[in-house]
Amino acid sequence: MLDTIYQSVLSGNAPETAQGVQQAIDAGLDPGEILNQGMIAAMAEVGQRFEAGDMFVPEMLIAARAMKEGLAILQPHLVDAGVEPVGKVVLGTVKGDLHDIGKNLVGMMLEGSGFEVIDLGVDVPPEGFVAAIQEHQPQIVGLSALLTTTMPGMQEIIEALVAAEVRDHVKVMVGGAPVTSDFANEIGADAYAADASAAATQAKRLL
Amino acid sequence: MKHRDRVALALAHQAPDRCPMQISFTPEFASRLRDNLGIAAAAMHNPHGGGNTYVLERALDEDMLLTSVGWANSYYATDALSENGVHYTDEWGITWRNVPYETQFGIGHYTEIADHPLAEDDAFDTYPPPDPLRPELYAEAHRVIEEYQDEYWIVGVTVCTIFETAWALRGLSQTLMDLVLKPELAAQLLDIPFSYHLTAAKKLVEMGVDMIWTGDDVGSQDRMLISPDTWRRFLKPRMATFIASLKEINPDVKVAYHSDGDITPIIADLIEIGLDVLNPVQPRSMNPAKVKQAYGDALCFWGSIDEQHTLPFGTPAEVEQEVITRLKTIGRDGGLIIGPTHHVQLDTPLENFWAMVNAIRQTPYTL
Repeated sequence: MLDTIYQSVLSGNAPETAQGVQQAIDAGLDPGEILNQGMIAAMAEVGQRFEAGDMFVPEMLIAARAMKEGLAILQPHLVDAGVEPVGKVVLGTVKGDLHDIGKNLVGMMLEGSGFEVIDLGVDVPPEGFVAAIQEHQPQIVGLSALLTTTMPGMQEIIEALVAAEVRDHVKVMVGGAPVTSDFANEIGADAYAADASAAATQAKRLL
Repeated sequence: MKHRDRVALALAHQAPDRCPMQISFTPEFASRLRDNLGIAAAAMHNPHGGGNTYVLERALDEDMLLTSVGWANSYYATDALSENGVHYTDEWGITWRNVPYETQFGIGHYTEIADHPLAEDDAFDTYPPPDPLRPELYAEAHRVIEEYQDEYWIVGVTVCTIFETAWALRGLSQTLMDLVLKPELAAQLLDIPFSYHLTAAKKLVEMGVDMIWTGDDVGSQDRMLISPDTWRRFLKPRMATFIASLKEINPDVKVAYHSDGDITPIIADLIEIGLDVLNPVQPRSMNPAKVKQAYGDALCFWGSIDEQHTLPFGTPAEVEQEVITRLKTIGRDGGLIIGPTHHVQLDTPLENFWAMVNAIRQTPYTL
């Protein structure tokens, strides 16, 4: 039964995933087990196949969509069983930048790794990140930029976190096409992720 | 040497006096450059050529002039801001926003898509695509050919030919998922811009342009956005028809294909369907020297100067060095039209810009 869920997430079959999760719940399987061995395991495989070049963005998107449908059914049962997310991440695309597909993929892969994700959307000013960190108390904040003109805004966000005295409470992870590991080091970020799969791996490392 | 002869020689895999050069600018960089050159302000500069006076291109001694018909003209259609967050609607029914950004050289704006007319499946039944044969669409191309073709290599621009306009109509994530989940609908979607831009490109070739610039961004920073097989299934056959149709009208017309990012897996496919020139060879995604080594006998290149790091964030010396490196590698023995891999952006220091232009103009091909 868990294998059916695993396979249906991997192949991006949302109806089959939802059906599989419902059947597993009805059969009395442990919600944590359904999550970990069915869906998180499948999304880990999606990440590996993406990194290996065997899967691309379309296949990742449909896998994530299948996972979300399954998760929507599973969520109340996870709450009842007291299954907690592995961590909390606040995520957003920086001010002036409206590009969101990379950021969305990161959010999906984080959810697929068991994180709770608070997605602030696009064009988020530094004070938006500060307010969300104060409200949600995440362990990690993820910043995305596609443009060379908006990428320097990441430094302003880190400075705003320092000024608001929340920098010590969160790890900062950055990514996006023009962003490099060197740039991440220069601005004092804690981690750089080259793609959505790497972001999930880095986030687990940062906890 | 005439500008057009310089390009023709390079595309014949021969080395002209210097490497031919093509550079475009965002509207705000164009303003800075006009000030720098003491050229009077004109209407807003459109980097794809719509309404362009070519005064900057000619002042810089560029060799190709671009004139565009199609959806790419929706970018930078206006710098005006209006109410409700939507600033204009293009002829495709796609709505746009002007989004400001700030750099050390001032405030610029990018035009970003706000909404997609084909987001819902049932919208396909009633969608009226724009008519690509309206005479007014070609008035500027007529003027450019008449005024400048004797001297310059004229490029008809129909970029965002299939995939990019399709996802602008439908939404990017949805289009990507359609390719896997709804292949028939995806094909129907792709045919809308394909048909329009093919008609426009054929018309431009009939009018006498020297080259058509086509293509879609299908590469991401370090891999393809869609799998090579998905590209082969949906985009290769259409692009094969596109190139063959143009060569049927004029066997000597050149065709350039654009995709940002890393598209290494499909370069051989593009050569197979008759491509002449690959653009822009984004150097942080594909190694230009290796691309030349692998495909340089069959393909020419256009672009290759890093717009992601060297131009905005490097030093003038680094920019100059990059130009020299390109001339010796991807530009070795001709086969290259050199220039930045995107419009020069507002965040680029003028010192870096001039380091690029001067290195290109002053380096003879006997290096």
